[in-house]
Amino acid sequence: MNLKTLTLFGFGQFHDQTFHLQAGFNVLLGPNEAGKSTITQFITAILFGFPTKKHPELRYEPLDGSRFGGAIEFEQDDVTYRVTRVDGPRGGKVTLQNLTTDLPLPASQLERLLAPVDAQLFMAVYALNESRLGTVFQASKQALIDRLRHVGAVGSDFWLDQAHALDQTSATRYKPQGRKPTLNQLLAEHAALTAKLTKANAAYQTYLTLREQQTANKRQQTELTTQLHQQRQVTTAKEHLLQAWPVYQQWQALQATPKVAASGFTQADMTTFERLSSQVKAAQTTLQTDQRQLQTLQAHTQLPKLFQAYLAVSDQVTPLFDDLAAVTARDQERNQLLTQKKDLEQRTNDYERQYADANGQMPQAFSLATTQKFKQLQSSLALATQKRHRLQQQLNQANETYRQLRPTRQRQNLLANKQVGWLIAGLVVLVGAMFLPGALIKLIGAAGGVAIGYYGVFIVDGETPVGRELQQLSTEFQDLQAQLREGGQRLDELTTQIDAIGTAHDLDRLPAEQWLAVQRAISDWERLTHQLDQVHQRLTTIDEAQHHFLTQVTTALPTLANQSVAAVVEQLTRLRTTQRQLASQNGELADLSGRLKRDQQALTTAQTARDTFLQTRNVATSGVFYQRYQAAREQGNQQAQRQALADQLGTKRLAQLQQTTQAQVTQDVATAKQTTTNLQHDLDAVTTHLATLAGQLEQLTTSGTQATLRQKLANLETRMQLTARDWLVDRLASQWIEATLEAASGDRFPQIVTQAGDFYAELTENRYTKIELTAATLRVQRADGQWRTVGQLSRGTAEQLDLAVKLAFAVVMQAQAAMPVVIDDGFVNFDAARRQAAYRLLNRVSQQLQVILLTADPAAGTAVADQRVLKLTAN
Amino acid sequence: MKFIHAADLHLDSPFLGLTSLPPAFLTQVQRSTFAAATKIFDRALAEHVDFVLLAGDLFDRAEQSVAAQAYLFDQFNRLNAAQIPVLISFGNHDYATDQHQTLAYPDNVTVFGSQVTTHTLTLASGETVAVSGFSYPQRWVADDVLADYPDHAATDWHVGMLHGAVRSGGPADHYAPFTVAELQAKHYDYWALGHIHHHQLLASDPPIVYAGNPQGRSVKETGARGAYLVTSHGTKLVPEFFPTAAIMWEPVTLDSSATTLVELGQKLVAWLQAHPASQPTLTVLHVTLGQALSASDTAQLTDWVALFQRTQHKVLQTAQREFVRVTVQQAAEPLTAPKLDQTYWKRGGQQVFTVANQQDLLGKLLQEPSLAAWAQDLSPADLKQAATERLNQRLREGGDHES
Repeated sequence: MNLKTLTLFGFGQFHDQTFHLQAGFNVLLGPNEAGKSTITQFITAILFGFPTKKHPELRYEPLDGSRFGGAIEFEQDDVTYRVTRVDGPRGGKVTLQNLTTDLPLPASQLERLLAPVDAQLFMAVYALNESRLGTVFQASKQALIDRLRHVGAVGSDFWLDQAHALDQTSATRYKPQGRKPTLNQLLAEHAALTAKLTKANAAYQTYLTLREQQTANKRQQTELTTQLHQQRQVTTAKEHLLQAWPVYQQWQALQATPKVAASGFTQADMTTFERLSSQVKAAQTTLQTDQRQLQTLQAHTQLPKLFQAYLAVSDQVTPLFDDLAAVTARDQERNQLLTQKKDLEQRTNDYERQYADANGQMPQAFSLATTQKFKQLQSSLALATQKRHRLQQQLNQANETYRQLRPTRQRQNLLANKQVGWLIAGLVVLVGAMFLPGALIKLIGAAGGVAIGYYGVFIVDGETPVGRELQQLSTEFQDLQAQLREGGQRLDELTTQIDAIGTAHDLDRLPAEQWLAVQRAISDWERLTHQLDQVHQRLTTIDEAQHHFLTQVTTALPTLANQSVAAVVEQLTRLRTTQRQLASQNGELADLSGRLKRDQQALTTAQTARDTFLQTRNVATSGVFYQRYQAAREQGNQQAQRQALADQLGTKRLAQLQQTTQAQVTQDVATAKQTTTNLQHDLDAVTTHLATLAGQLEQLTTSGTQATLRQKLANLETRMQLTARDWLVDRLASQWIEATLEAASGDRFPQIVTQAGDFYAELTENRYTKIELTAATLRVQRADGQWRTVGQLSRGTAEQLDLAVKLAFAVVMQAQAAMPVVIDDGFVNFDAARRQAAYRLLNRVSQQLQVILLTADPAAGTAVADQRVLKLTAN
Repeated sequence: MKFIHAADLHLDSPFLGLTSLPPAFLTQVQRSTFAAATKIFDRALAEHVDFVLLAGDLFDRAEQSVAAQAYLFDQFNRLNAAQIPVLISFGNHDYATDQHQTLAYPDNVTVFGSQVTTHTLTLASGETVAVSGFSYPQRWVADDVLADYPDHAATDWHVGMLHGAVRSGGPADHYAPFTVAELQAKHYDYWALGHIHHHQLLASDPPIVYAGNPQGRSVKETGARGAYLVTSHGTKLVPEFFPTAAIMWEPVTLDSSATTLVELGQKLVAWLQAHPASQPTLTVLHVTLGQALSASDTAQLTDWVALFQRTQHKVLQTAQREFVRVTVQQAAEPLTAPKLDQTYWKRGGQQVFTVANQQDLLGKLLQEPSLAAWAQDLSPADLKQAATERLNQRLREGGDHES
């Protein structure tokens, strides 16, 4: 941009004055108070606005009252504009005109045309004067760096101020090491609240523990309830058992009664029996009625008592009437037989008195062979006896002989002995003959016996004594003796045989001689006995018949008992007669008797039925039957009662009762009750604990402490986050500003620094060759390579450094901001040589930028060729 | 067949983003997660549903809330009394630990283990339902769990339960990542998802459904909140959303021509009277002013909001609204600040607004657990926006001060 004309309407000491400028180097030469600073201020004011009225010394309002303001024509990008600024609000009233097209532009366009250069930048970089160059030394090192950075980026001072303000704000929000900033306080509060919440969270563990306990207890409660329920049932069952005990005892007692088999004594039997009995009773009643009727009839007919009895049993008795003749005949025969029997008994008794033994036993009759044999034996015995007798005689003879020959005594003895033997034999025969049957035989036997005895005493007494005969006698004697012995033996043999026969026939009490005679008696006795038997048999038959008859009669008519047959017959005969008489009598009685007969039959039938009924039950009388029936019924009742008791007890309980004792059951009940009580106690304890737990849980869950604290914490965290965010945004905004400034200046910095180095070398006549500018340091390097910091530089040298940097900035930045460089007498502290160098430099720079140098130094006007010099004259 | 699909109950979890609330409202807030969940269980009982699926994040384990546990216990008992089975797959907030196992839920509750298992139910109607799912064993599950889900079982219905997020391909895929195609490949009749708090259908045939959370707990969780009642129609399962939230969140943007705070207050009262909420609503108000406020008003803005809430308590109560936050955006003003080339601002921004720089700045603050998570969610773009606002505000204030 080049300024072409400056028209001052009224500004400071100027009014209605126009300066024409050229594109290159312009020198406005004037002494002090010629208005050099006013011109500089005019350019700034017209382009960027009048300062506020708070600073009137900077406004340069005209002293003569002419119109405040002016106009500047400038050329930019081959277009000429004119900006006119007169007094007005907000820096003055601006009018902008495009002179090339001759069109007015909005005032706001001006700022855009000038951008990015603003008043601040213009004054900092382009409008140079001594005092501004001098600020280098008044400011701190940081300020210098800032300034230089400001130079590096348009408007950076403002932004740096903002960044600084943001940093300050952020510091009130949060400081990493602080305590006062908001966030730091919130963090502290957060820590405290978190600690509180952690404490409250302990309730969670408590809750879990309580809940576990609750679960466990509930399970226990359920179990206990079940157990208790079961136990109660057990207890109840036991108690029922105990209660049932009396019933059980009753049942047992009933069990103890013996069981009687009692068939045929049932209720039905009873009914049948009752029916039968009543039939009998009915029949009896009928009979009695008829009998009474009969009695009434009898009162008229004067019937004997027996007949009345007969009428009742007429059908039994009437057949007997036919037997009456036979009975009478049998009775007579019986009497005859009794007489015969008495006779026969007389005779048999005679025989038995004669021959029967002590026991009354008759001997037995000989058989024919036996008789034969006995007779033979008798005769043999007789022969043997005779022979023996003879021998005895011979012996006696011999003995006599011997006695004669020998002393008497001997003889006497011998003789005596012989006689005695014979006597004895005779006696034996005599006695034996007495036992022979038949008187004749006995007599014969007795005679024989006497004969033997006589022979023995009188005949056998013979003597044959001889001397020498003695020897002979002796021999004879011995021989005789032998024969005698032999005969004796034979005799014994025969006697034995006879005895055997006697014994066999029970005759040994009688002498054998009588035996044959006894044989006849025996046969007679046997015959008699036989006859007696026959009589007896017949008698028995008759007796039986008679007895049968009598029995029949007495059964029918008991009144006839114990009467003789004849009497009975007589009575019956009379009854028959009466009956026959009656039969012919009137029909009424006959009917009645017929009816009585039927009644009797009915009664009999009924009685028979009843008796049969009783007999089949093996019972004699109805009384017994009733007894048995009662017994059976009683038993039935008992059984029913027992069954009822068993039903009442139930099969199971009965079985249980049977397996235990009352004491055991009582003990069980007590135990069960105790267990129930214990369980109940446990359950109560668990229930109570559960209630406590529920209370504790309730308290825990409804306290709301956790939730409140947590929400508080959440709210606090929200505040923390908001604060932190504010802080972060502040910090980021600050950083952003710095980063943007760095970005804006960053790439040009090296260029500016290099260019500034070149310019600085030129200004210092190559005494200093290099500038180093970083965020923290600014230093220069001398030609000998030594580094100097700003503080080590002289004032002029420092001002030259500032000039070099500013010119370098203007040159480097001219593409963006091609503003003219306005220098208001800036080189007062330069020595002549360096001032010349500065002019040369400006001249060179003016090839690229418009340079307006306001100076009082006339040398400036001659220092450079091809220049446009305007003279300002002091008023 | 009928069941309820709910998720993310976040019982007894605090509301986020609140700085202060009137005590009465605070009580409502504290009860709201329970109240919302109760509506779900009430519905389950009223509808006599066959079962209830809870797809994770029933509560926040880290909070160790007694109230949450006690509440669940009571509600499960209610359902147990009605013989309604409850199937739970724990998520990243209520991930199953051994500690949890000690608390025995009622018999009707089935909690899935850390491995995918299938639980088969026989309904009163005789129908059979297989439900496959798993519980998080820890906070993150990065594995591909879908492979463990079986194919459609030989039951009448097969329902998948999954607490997770769709695979993004990024490093944050540690919530049982899946793709919709993977779910569809299982040929289930319904997918009951959890984790994402905004209810939505990822697909409709078969329904792949996020139940959302029953109660919004931050300004990000606006709109209707609830669960799904799923009913069989023929061979299809049809989800029907029902709202449960006890407290609503609503962001409101209000353009106003007010030029002073007094005027703004009047406008707000008028707006409140014209827009009463149907149920308690936490309102986040953003006011855009057509004209900038005076500097003094701007300075008082923060205090004024608090004052407004106190003085207009009755009006707010009548409208069932509570202002959680009020931001006032003023009209952009021509700035007097020296301009720097946009490219420099951009370059500077690129340098400053990075996650690394944020973390560098936050430094020690990141060690605060309560801020670490928040810092995670800070986006450089948002912060840049905020910083721009901040600078603008400063320029406005600065400009006024200078003039």
